[in-house]
Amino acid sequence: MPDTTRETSRAFRLGVAGPVGTGKSSLIAMVCRELGDELQLGVITNDIYTDEDARMLRAAGVLDPDRIRAVETGACPHTAIRDDVSANLLAVEDLEADFAPLDLVMVESGGDNLTATFSPALVDAQVFVLDVAGGGDVVRKGGPGISRADLLVVNKTDLAPYVGVDADLMLREGQDARDGRPVIGLSRTDPDSVAELRAWVLAMVASHRDGHHVPVDPGPMAPHSHAGDGARAHSHVHDGGDGVHAH
Amino acid sequence: MLPHPEFAAMLLADGRLPVGGHTQSAGLEPALLGGLEPRDIPDLITTRLRTVVLVDAGTAVVARHRTMAGLPLDDVQLAWAARTPSEVVRAASIAVGRGQRRLAQRLWPGSAAASALAPLRAPARPVAVGSMAAAAGLDGARTARLVAYDDVQSLCAAALKLCPLDPAETTEWLLHAGPGVEAVVVAVAHLTEPDGIPALSAPLLEQWQHAHPTHPRRLFSA
Repeated sequence: MPDTTRETSRAFRLGVAGPVGTGKSSLIAMVCRELGDELQLGVITNDIYTDEDARMLRAAGVLDPDRIRAVETGACPHTAIRDDVSANLLAVEDLEADFAPLDLVMVESGGDNLTATFSPALVDAQVFVLDVAGGGDVVRKGGPGISRADLLVVNKTDLAPYVGVDADLMLREGQDARDGRPVIGLSRTDPDSVAELRAWVLAMVASHRDGHHVPVDPGPMAPHSHAGDGARAHSHVHDGGDGVHAH
Repeated sequence: MLPHPEFAAMLLADGRLPVGGHTQSAGLEPALLGGLEPRDIPDLITTRLRTVVLVDAGTAVVARHRTMAGLPLDDVQLAWAARTPSEVVRAASIAVGRGQRRLAQRLWPGSAAASALAPLRAPARPVAVGSMAAAAGLDGARTARLVAYDDVQSLCAAALKLCPLDPAETTEWLLHAGPGVEAVVVAVAHLTEPDGIPALSAPLLEQWQHAHPTHPRRLFSA
């Protein structure tokens, strides 16, 4: 029935964005593993060319495979979470209806450039995931997700010594760029960092339930502070100036 | 107040309309995975315009008419389903139809289209498009042209992601499809009854589309 009036069994919807290979699927698997016993969970993946992420999550055995659904995005991962969220929104609502009541639905972006953030029409909050292996300078390049996502995760901190990156510096720069918004340096080998992520997710779900959480849109673009850095960070924006991703 | 019909037609034909259309390739990816040579894509466009697009455009025109007349759309949806044998093709159409209904309800709340679409469990794309066309003030011809144009345009846009092509070339395909699109308009613009919807099929295209979900590497959902 009408796709617009299903508010009663609405879960807290959490987007997970960030460049390809930074560990979005692993983070989702981690949340499922950590919270699967106390929360009713669902996952939507947006793979670019396969349903690899959905299959990986199903194979991880951390969640009932039926609660993990893949959405093909027509090679437009950016569009599917921002400009036209229809396919994802319907998938989220179907999942919420089929397994009502769910507490938390995580939507994994297909992975895109630093300008890709979720529309507030699709998610209530979002995590932006970077990793140390992507280079220590990525945080400085900035972008709406880095600056204004509800949570910035700098992942795989255990790899820092092997890729010549100062993880602590990266985290400090992340904090500087975010005006007090939370940053977590995450490693699956560091139980304290996993506990920090777990606590953040639980606090957000609780805040959503209480009606205290107000979704904040990171916006499509970050303000440019250095012309050089900005140009590099936004080199994949298709239409230049206003960050519109046209298709 | 209704928008100008030309304005309304442009609004609804925009590939950026947020209804989930960008996730589909109008049967092109299934065709290429099924073995269609890229050089034959223009022939695929022609074939679709002579077969499945006639079904969809006819469905939309009848859905528009019945919405304007305050009649239910169940028979139109059934007539479309009877002419669209693969459940995979029907599911793909419904995926966008639901997005289209959501947008229609947002843009024209309380309209005859919103009421007509509400009771359907999951409207097919042409049913939702036709009903939305009624809300937007399109006549039958513009409704048929919208459906046919959108099919070709979606296919051309998808071709750029699937094949090594100059974007100007696919725009040329779209332009050259104009007469074929107008032939669709002439064939279905006057329809008012579900029984009158053309019942043409393209078995090879259907077979390709039917097999699409089994391919491990896909960009598009259909």
